[in-house]
Amino acid sequence: MEIKHFHRATSLQDAHETLLQDPSNIVLGGGLWVKKVNASANTLIDLSDLKLDQIKDTHNQLEIGAMVNLRDFETHPAVKSINGGFLSHAVSQIMGVAFRRLATVGGTVAGRFAFSDLLTPLLTLDVTLVFFPKKEISLEQYLNAKGKTTDILTSIIIKKEPGIGYFKKVSNTVLDFAILNIAVTHFKGKYVIAVGARPAGSVLALKAMDYLNTQKNPGLAEFEKAAELTSEALGFLTTSTGSESYRKSLARTYVRRGLEEVAHHEG
Amino acid sequence: MKVKFILNGRNRSFEVKPGEFLLDTLRKNAITSVKNGCNESSCGACSVLLDGKPILSCSLLTLRVEGHRITTVEGIQEEIELISHYFGDEGADQCGFCNSGLALTAYALKRELVNPTDEDIKKYVVGNLCRCSGYQAQFEAIKRYVRNEK
Amino acid sequence: MKVVNNKTRSIDGKGIMMGRPAFTDDLAESNSLIVKILRSPHAFAHIKNIDVTKARALAGVELVLTYHDVPHVSFTRAGQGYPEPSPHDKFVLDEYVRYVGDEVACVAAVTEEIAEKALALIEVEYEVLEPILDFEKSMNNKIVIHPEDGIHDMFPIGFEPKKNLAASYYMHVGDVDKVLKTCDVTVTQSFYTQAQAHAMLEPHTANARLDYHNRLVIYTSTQTPFHVRRILSQTLGIPLSKIRVIKPRVGGGFGGKQALHGEMFVALVTMRTNKPCKIVFSRKEVFESSYTRHPMRLDMRLGAMKDGTLKAIDCHVLSDTGAYGEHALTVFMVAGSKVLPLYNKVDAVQFTGEVVYTNHVSAGAYRGYGAIQGNYALESAIDMLCTKLGMDPTEFRKKNMIKEGETSPIFAIMGEGTAGTPMIMESCKLDYCLKRGKELIDWKKKYPRVQAGPHKVRSVGSAIAMQGSGIPHIDMGSATVKLNDDGFYNLTVGATDIGQGSDTILAQIVAEELMTTIDKVIVYSSDTDLTPFDTGAYASSTTYVSGNAVLKAATNMKDMLIEEAARSLDVPIDQVDFNGATFKSLEKEITLSDLANHLYYSEHQRQLTATNSFVGKISPPPFMAGFIEIEVDTETGEFEVLDYVSVVDCGTTLNPMLARGQVEGGIAQGLGMAAFEDVKYSAKGKLMSNSFLYYKVPTSLDIKKLTTEFAESYETTGPFGGKSVGEIGIDTPPAALCNAVYNAVGVRITKLPVTPEKILQGIIANKQKEKKL
Repeated sequence: MEIKHFHRATSLQDAHETLLQDPSNIVLGGGLWVKKVNASANTLIDLSDLKLDQIKDTHNQLEIGAMVNLRDFETHPAVKSINGGFLSHAVSQIMGVAFRRLATVGGTVAGRFAFSDLLTPLLTLDVTLVFFPKKEISLEQYLNAKGKTTDILTSIIIKKEPGIGYFKKVSNTVLDFAILNIAVTHFKGKYVIAVGARPAGSVLALKAMDYLNTQKNPGLAEFEKAAELTSEALGFLTTSTGSESYRKSLARTYVRRGLEEVAHHEG
Repeated sequence: MKVKFILNGRNRSFEVKPGEFLLDTLRKNAITSVKNGCNESSCGACSVLLDGKPILSCSLLTLRVEGHRITTVEGIQEEIELISHYFGDEGADQCGFCNSGLALTAYALKRELVNPTDEDIKKYVVGNLCRCSGYQAQFEAIKRYVRNEK
Repeated sequence: MKVVNNKTRSIDGKGIMMGRPAFTDDLAESNSLIVKILRSPHAFAHIKNIDVTKARALAGVELVLTYHDVPHVSFTRAGQGYPEPSPHDKFVLDEYVRYVGDEVACVAAVTEEIAEKALALIEVEYEVLEPILDFEKSMNNKIVIHPEDGIHDMFPIGFEPKKNLAASYYMHVGDVDKVLKTCDVTVTQSFYTQAQAHAMLEPHTANARLDYHNRLVIYTSTQTPFHVRRILSQTLGIPLSKIRVIKPRVGGGFGGKQALHGEMFVALVTMRTNKPCKIVFSRKEVFESSYTRHPMRLDMRLGAMKDGTLKAIDCHVLSDTGAYGEHALTVFMVAGSKVLPLYNKVDAVQFTGEVVYTNHVSAGAYRGYGAIQGNYALESAIDMLCTKLGMDPTEFRKKNMIKEGETSPIFAIMGEGTAGTPMIMESCKLDYCLKRGKELIDWKKKYPRVQAGPHKVRSVGSAIAMQGSGIPHIDMGSATVKLNDDGFYNLTVGATDIGQGSDTILAQIVAEELMTTIDKVIVYSSDTDLTPFDTGAYASSTTYVSGNAVLKAATNMKDMLIEEAARSLDVPIDQVDFNGATFKSLEKEITLSDLANHLYYSEHQRQLTATNSFVGKISPPPFMAGFIEIEVDTETGEFEVLDYVSVVDCGTTLNPMLARGQVEGGIAQGLGMAAFEDVKYSAKGKLMSNSFLYYKVPTSLDIKKLTTEFAESYETTGPFGGKSVGEIGIDTPPAALCNAVYNAVGVRITKLPVTPEKILQGIIANKQKEKKL
């Protein structure tokens, strides 16, 4: 990528104003995609001086600055204790430690990457995204929204809710893109199911969840049905790494396994 | 644009382009130990230490390094020599292209992880690809280094 | 032995890890012009017009070359002995482009940025032609990929470009059709292998400069410096004496650097501009525009009797050599010559095939060199035969495989594009390898499968393999040992260390023979001016061919030293006893150090050097038995490789640690081909798996455990009993894995790589078949 200017923002205001100056201006997350994009940018805007690399742990929520790198995120004790550590588990499978030290939580979330291993488990939690200028929307809303935004993601807020999470990345090798990502979280009285890399991005399996969460004492039969509903209702496609029918069958198998695993724990 | 950072213990100042990456800056300035294996954050041969922790220099814009500490094998020669003895004993050094990046990663691992298991060690270095060795000998060498075995 | 077959650290690992400049790009001149190649976006096209005016006019551009500006001499890029068994079907730059990534033009500029800008300013008018992207449709296709004049083979290899044939071959012993008819059980099956990428960590690179003799001096990451020099000379019309090629430290080759890559261009640029220049392939160019393994279809027919006697083998190969014919004939022939002799007691064996051109990336040499493809097909088919016979595959192999003291008629028939070399297996420990491997993997308990959970099955699979040690009567290696004052030695060899540790083991040979320590042997290798000749690092020749040359030279040196000591002590030669440091006679003695100093400075002054060469009369094969244990998830088809056991007969392990590294590195690459590395092309012929993001080489977490042992073996024709170990490791994993998958879930994978989806599809298909019954 051809870059004409590099600007270290002195404030969020400054960053935002610079971003608006030229449609080709970009806010830098980890910068890992800079090389892979075959375009030119007028100005790269760096937020490194804005102290967005903090994790604030309070009683009922975790606020993660957008510039927190994936390695710091993964190893943070507060993140490790979220719902059994499935967020850390998911992130720890992304490439290697040196890669994760560059990639940022903000970059991953703002980019809405369809293959993102972090977005799938995050989607099962109550997550709010904070943008500058002042705007807060849920992760689910943001993932469903279309088009680019000139707002700058400054932090993500994870509401703490007792429960246990399950995450499975299916891939041919350890460092590969996922063929499918599956996350299942069991909170008190409700199950949340998300599937990503379908190849399309992470979505909630709402039909399956609606069914499951209205069942009294769901067991194996109900889990199988919910898994079946997930694989039927969500859209899957054939790509070079897997066919549509294979992805469907993976969804069916792993949603069921996820539900079985988290069934015995809650809060 | 000018950028100032500490390279291998010395204050350095470089004139770089806005879109220049640390890998190129280092290799242009006689740090040949840092290798260009893929130039797209996938192989680990370009690994350096940023404030003591491994990072991919091919994907780190040099201007972002302002004020930080960068370490390559040239800066910690004694420790790298020690690591090379472990590698030599296991026959883990074949073509050597991945070795400098891997040695830095092993060095950082020893200082970051407390009592790592075999699995912890493997996970930490998984991003350093090696096409020559099949990884077993490397793992033995790193394990013995991390556990201070004779 | 004190040095050979002892644990010895490599002589160069420390310096490289500590960051000393060592690799080709580390040694480029700092003011090098940057050379970039404009590459074809089309799989097959004719360049109707190419206009470089704008590119040439760009400030900072020093040279732009099109096919109008370079010699129109056909050559082969393949690094092989001369005359090469590969067709001369390549021009430096041509008016045809034959694959996406093929060379169109060459630019040299003062910075990389300017070179890239210049590439974009070159205007090319292509007549886009319909490509051949299916190798099964290539032969006799109305589309001809090499219609041009001026291409030829160096001797008959079946080169018929009008039919898109780069090479063909046929041999038979006995009448295979007749024998198959008499067999109780037969197997007929076709197998497909993919175009594996070498994925060596160091991308291809070369740089050039004129020295003060005005000679062209090239540093290149190559496996064959002498072949590079010859090919440059013949193609560019530069006298051989005006070219020097030096191989610095190479970051992995595996065959991918056994052919020219950028050397032609840096040579031309430096010759025309008088300036130093360099080319560094991007990782994308390494995938798209260097070489791949030859993808093949192997059609197997096997026949056996009820009692488990293998009677007939028929193997037909269709090999895809891509756009150009480097290594076309020889890789294809090795699929037979270094596989079929494993079962030497059959009544009839037939090997035949064709190598066709397509508009794919050019295929070339890659570790295993046909043996891995042939092994996959044969060893899979053998297991299929055993299923029909109801026989344990290891028992079947034990009964039918080649043993020490035996031979195979194939050795005499199949050579390197010419006739072969008969040989008896002086050392063959296959029976031990098989037995020991079974013990190590616990075959008795685990074969064929064990249930490991409600949806998990564990199983084992096996395969045996052989390779060779150099090319007999063709590969020559040589060495010079020079004595220095103080009593240490220089060893100069043409032999090419590409990371396998040849510098180290060759130094060990000298140290062993001269009864000294390895630090007293200073190695310098692979410089066409300063080192004696060697064909290069391929065909697993370094230990056997180069090593024998080194041993001969070291022995000569020892004799010379004893002669000088006798003269110095004034006693007959047979009264001198040398222990590596001191020469003793009954009454007098002199240290090597003193003798060496006298020879330099004070007495009978002369420089002692010993040079010697070696050409193999035979190519004694290394052997191995490979065993894999896997766990399969029967609901998803996912599988894990739990352990890979290798028991290898490579003769003496000159350096046991480095030998283990060769085997395990080979196993990892073999497993990559078996399971992880998938090659994908777009419908228009563009390589989609052209980056490490999409082409996945195995990591330390993908290969859980490797167990490697060596058999006690000694090959008297090899240096200190050694054969070779560079390639043998790669051959068995594809067949072993596919056999294990069959043993686990009854699914036979006949097209690599094995993927979970293929396994699951097979499981589902089996269930449906069962339902129908």
